[in-house]
Amino acid sequence: MATLRQYEALLLTVPEITGDEVKHLETQLDKTIKAATGSTISFERWGKYKLAYDINKNEYGVFFLTRFEAPVGTPIVNDLKTLLKVKLHNVVMRDMVSALDPKRPLTYQKPRSLEEAPTREADSFSKDKASTFFSADERDEIDEE
Amino acid sequence: MTKKIKLKISARLVKKRSRRGGNNRPKMCRFCSDKEQVHTIDYKNSNFLKGFLTERGKILPSRISGICARHQRVVSGEIRKSRVMALLPYSGPSF
Repeated sequence: MATLRQYEALLLTVPEITGDEVKHLETQLDKTIKAATGSTISFERWGKYKLAYDINKNEYGVFFLTRFEAPVGTPIVNDLKTLLKVKLHNVVMRDMVSALDPKRPLTYQKPRSLEEAPTREADSFSKDKASTFFSADERDEIDEE
Repeated sequence: MTKKIKLKISARLVKKRSRRGGNNRPKMCRFCSDKEQVHTIDYKNSNFLKGFLTERGKILPSRISGICARHQRVVSGEIRKSRVMALLPYSGPSF
């Protein structure tokens, strides 16, 4: 039996990606992996991010991370490149397919997306500052004003 | 004739040593001392890799970051991968 190797693919898609397009992307990926007698381990949506530089005039992008395993010697990586760079070129802006180190733990850290970032009112910052810098009496005076 | 042995360290040398900080603590690579931390070097972990960049987005030299040559190669490689995915900038913010 051929030994299995684990891979991961990080995809950067256009910010205005729809739910149907995500489903299509997932099924297409799954199909390609299955064709190479492999199996998908996970498919995860990271969320929307502000990019470090503009790509195709897009300031933002949505990241997806998929992990899969396939036997050594199959042309899985080339097939995926063809799929992402040719068939899905109008959805996927960048992709990074890499083999996973078996010694490394599967857990990873990712930067915080715009959706996870805490939202706060524009006025709340000055209110927080006021609560730490001024005493209770002074705060009452400020409120009265 | 007997050779003169220098017993006293010159004042200049003492001054020079004190100017250097005095503590001769050997520089230790943070990844060599903690093997678990090596796993945090990853192109997906851009927040961590940001610490190895200058304000303008250049990769810090190992003499500044204090990591050994072997791990500097790993870090710079992951930074370059991260740049492709637009998680890190190629150059700093434009003015």
